[in-house]
Amino acid sequence: MLKLQSVCSDVAGINVLRNVTGEVHAGSLTAVIGRNGAGKTTLLRTIMGAVEIKHGTIHVDGELINHLKAYERSHIGIGWAPEERVIFPTMSVKENMMFPCQIVGHNKGQVQDRIDMVLDVVPQLKAMLDRSGAALSGGQGKMVALGRALMVGTRIVLLDEPFQGLSPALAREYGESLSNLRNSQPDIAIIVTESNAALLHGIADQTFNIERGEITN
Amino acid sequence: MNSGILTLALLDGVSYAGMLFIVSLGLTFIFGVTNILNVAHGSLYACGGYATASIGLWLMGNDGGIINSIFSIIAGTLLVGVIVGLILEYLLRFFEKKPPILQLIITFAFFMILEDVQRLIWGTSPYFVSTIVGEMGNVEVLGVFYTNYQLIVLPGAAVIIYFILNWFLKHSLLGKKIVAVTHNKEVAVGMGVDAKKIKKITFIIGGLLGAFGGALASPTTSMVPGISADIIVLSFAVVATAGLGQVTGALIAALIIGIFRSLSIYLYPELEVVIPYVIMGTVLLFKPQGLFTVEKARRI
Ligand SMILES: Nc1ncnc2c1ncn2[C@@H]1O[C@H](COP(=O)(O)OP(=O)(O)OP(=O)(O)O)[C@@H](O)[C@H]1O
Ligand SMILES: [Mg+2]
Repeated sequence: MLKLQSVCSDVAGINVLRNVTGEVHAGSLTAVIGRNGAGKTTLLRTIMGAVEIKHGTIHVDGELINHLKAYERSHIGIGWAPEERVIFPTMSVKENMMFPCQIVGHNKGQVQDRIDMVLDVVPQLKAMLDRSGAALSGGQGKMVALGRALMVGTRIVLLDEPFQGLSPALAREYGESLSNLRNSQPDIAIIVTESNAALLHGIADQTFNIERGEITN
Repeated sequence: MNSGILTLALLDGVSYAGMLFIVSLGLTFIFGVTNILNVAHGSLYACGGYATASIGLWLMGNDGGIINSIFSIIAGTLLVGVIVGLILEYLLRFFEKKPPILQLIITFAFFMILEDVQRLIWGTSPYFVSTIVGEMGNVEVLGVFYTNYQLIVLPGAAVIIYFILNWFLKHSLLGKKIVAVTHNKEVAVGMGVDAKKIKKITFIIGGLLGAFGGALASPTTSMVPGISADIIVLSFAVVATAGLGQVTGALIAALIIGIFRSLSIYLYPELEVVIPYVIMGTVLLFKPQGLFTVEKARRI
């Protein structure tokens, strides 16, 4: 599904990712584990095209996406929940979720089907739909960011430290949502970054340990 | 003080504020979305006014009339707003990764170039086509005769634009994309927004607002060299008083500055030039972020 070959990229002129190679298969959950500053966020931003790839290749389903514009990547089915959530405060939770679908050009029926699917996977969102994006706690924001990523992430879903700041109860619910997702959408490739390996133990099909921008396993 | 003069000053103030708001909105909109303080915005006002007057003069050869005047306002706005807005956006593209101060200097350079372009096209003698003001007639307000154009059209246009822009940003997909890019460009792009296209559209909208302000003002004032500088300092005062990127704030700040400015014209004409700065300075002294800045996320 997603294949990285010797990927290097720079942040603010400093080389961060160094020869990252790895493959993520459809229907699998990949954990990217590393400490603060290891390059987890940079890896996801490189896949999203927010950070320019300096060297190496990224393929999605055999298609080279190195030169695909950053704004075109959601169009090929990559959904991204950024580390800082970034829920737009001027829109309701529902509008936030529908927004990427509307940009990609889905019609009303498709958007509604997708919302129904996401609400099945993340049932906690049902109660929040009409709430303003400005009125969410950090944990609720993480849930909304997950839901929003699933709206367009029909092939690949990138979740950047989703457990960070979640209470143990909410973290458990989030984990349940991930397994719901795998049951309901068995073809999606999921990548989750985390600094604490224990949190993804038992959920992940494969683990990449990342250290100073390099995959060490 | 004579009550007639007070009424007149208030009417003048509200009418001027309407025009000033429209121009300031363009300035604050471009800043809100792109973080560029566009000094050339005053030139958009001037070129919009000149173009409207020229088109008006050219059309009046036929029969004058309100329809021709309205047409010249629309044509002047579209022509100048779109073309000059796009040229500016194109120029700035070369300095995208450069520090903001350099981008500001580029807009200043563009302003200077446009000053000369105006002289080249329209010369230095005043342009003034007030057909529409005459044709729309006068009305008596509290014992003072005032033109319908200034009483209704200018403030009315400001209010309509205020509501349209708010609706557009809140409910249209394009508006939501603009808000999203303003809030967090990288994440908006990750969702599929073409930020370059949004920037272009932003400069067109901002350009249209600047040119529209000039087009609307042209029947009430002569277009002469130097008006670009006059209006950019005034609209900068409005935008800084309101807080950069504040739409509702700009409306209120334009009213305050418009009314105090015209009061001073009638009562203490020698203070006219400094009044906007006194207001701006006083506000910034107590609220350095401007009167209406609430939270960063709510910009535009
Ligand atoms: N804006 C920036 N300017 C300069 N260096 C940066 C910037 N962002 C990240 N870096 C550097 O890039 C490296 C990787 O950062 P990255 O954010 O990818 O780490 P991370 O694994 O996501 O860390 P965390 O667990 O804290 O989120 C870090 O060493 C950091 O110093
Ligand atoms: Mg990170």
